[in-house]
Amino acid sequence: MLVNEAQAAAASDQQSPLLSDTRGKHRILAEVKRLEQEARSLEEELEELDRMEKVSSTLEEFLLQVESKPDPLLPETRGPTNSSWEIWFEGPQEMQGCRCWIL
Amino acid sequence: MSVAELKERHIAATATVNSLRERLKQRRQLLLDTDVAGYAKSQGRSAISFSPTDLVCCRILQGHTGKVYSLDWAPERNRIVSASQDGRLIVWNALTSQKTHAIKLQCPWVRTCAFGPNGQSVACGGLDSACSIFNLNSQVERDGNIPVSRVLTGHKGYVYSCQYVPDQETHLITSSGDQTCVLWDVTTGQRISVFGGEFPSGHTADVLSVSINSSNSKMFVSGSCDTTARLWDTRIASRAVRTYHGHQGDVNTVKFFPDGQRFGTGSDDGTCRLYDMRTGHQLQVYSKQHNGDDNDIPIVTSIAFSISGRLLFAGYSSGDCYVWDTLVAEVVLNLGTVHNSHESRISCIGLSSDGSALCTGSWDKNLKIWAFGGHRRVI
Repeated sequence: MLVNEAQAAAASDQQSPLLSDTRGKHRILAEVKRLEQEARSLEEELEELDRMEKVSSTLEEFLLQVESKPDPLLPETRGPTNSSWEIWFEGPQEMQGCRCWIL
Repeated sequence: MSVAELKERHIAATATVNSLRERLKQRRQLLLDTDVAGYAKSQGRSAISFSPTDLVCCRILQGHTGKVYSLDWAPERNRIVSASQDGRLIVWNALTSQKTHAIKLQCPWVRTCAFGPNGQSVACGGLDSACSIFNLNSQVERDGNIPVSRVLTGHKGYVYSCQYVPDQETHLITSSGDQTCVLWDVTTGQRISVFGGEFPSGHTADVLSVSINSSNSKMFVSGSCDTTARLWDTRIASRAVRTYHGHQGDVNTVKFFPDGQRFGTGSDDGTCRLYDMRTGHQLQVYSKQHNGDDNDIPIVTSIAFSISGRLLFAGYSSGDCYVWDTLVAEVVLNLGTVHNSHESRISCIGLSSDGSALCTGSWDKNLKIWAFGGHRRVI
């Protein structure tokens, strides 16, 4: 809606001050509607918070979940491991491989 | 209604919104009875202990002649695509360090790149406000370059971030300086949905980063210069599902936690944060004490989680790459000070699909691969 109004406003740019009043009015109205929509969203969120549990209630599950997953970058981890974890150190390696410069 | 009456209505609406925001902030504060570190320490958890040679740089990918801005791992087979100030995309075999493709871009000011889910295509975007798609199996042209297969045009601002929807080669999400994110159909080049923009509620400044939930690819988060992160449902473009407050500066990077129920952010305010996607709670702030001028606080440019989520890798403008123990909120290693560290700002970080390697990209023009080379204890 706003984009079309802006286009219409630009097209009649050379007209009377009354029109610039109209354009200003439309802009303010659009902004007011946006703010009122945001207020409604914030009110919904407030109501939601009334029913929401505290942070601590979710953390036990969070800790257990993180600690139960195998992780190849940790010095100590749950299994199972995967042979693919070791490929970076297998076979002849040239740490600095192809060094051609792309020009 | 007269302009004067409208202006009064505007003032009243602004006051209502500000008051509601303040009440929301206070109500949330009451629910934050602890954070992750407080809880973990109360349960006897202590920080991960790394030996100095546990995480080592095992590959250096050299070839870009300008700052590296972005990187993305292919879903399989250890390939990486990178984008650089030199105006090129390079596709690497990370295991052998070989370059398999070098694509000279029509618009050299590229900022982001992404690998398609089947590893056959790459996408990039930048200051041309468009997202270009390349099929890596295309026949090269006479000049040796791969032709563009599709250009996604429509953004009215720079493209800062792009990511393919997992398991959907044909769908991609971009974020832009025009304050919107867009879901594209790559085969037709059409916009499927626009998230944010002038009328629908959305970000109110440039959107710098997106991350799609790999557990539920209909959900993605975005991070913006308006200091917020927002959660979107691709089926509902009209408004963000939730807005996450807390940061005091631009949110440069967002990344979903491996479980798909939380996500991390990194910001110009020098902190990383962990949020609960469903409740909106800020679960943890990862912040390093900084000696010196507050104006010199290094900004967080990029983040990645290890595959379990126990480690948070964060790249900073100082060249540091802190490895945070996410449970106790302590830095357990700094990849910016170990042997073979980068010589300049780390701009991008990504984890390989099996979690065995981390890639960092830097303004020093290189990419580096890091893996665990120490003795691993399996419980």
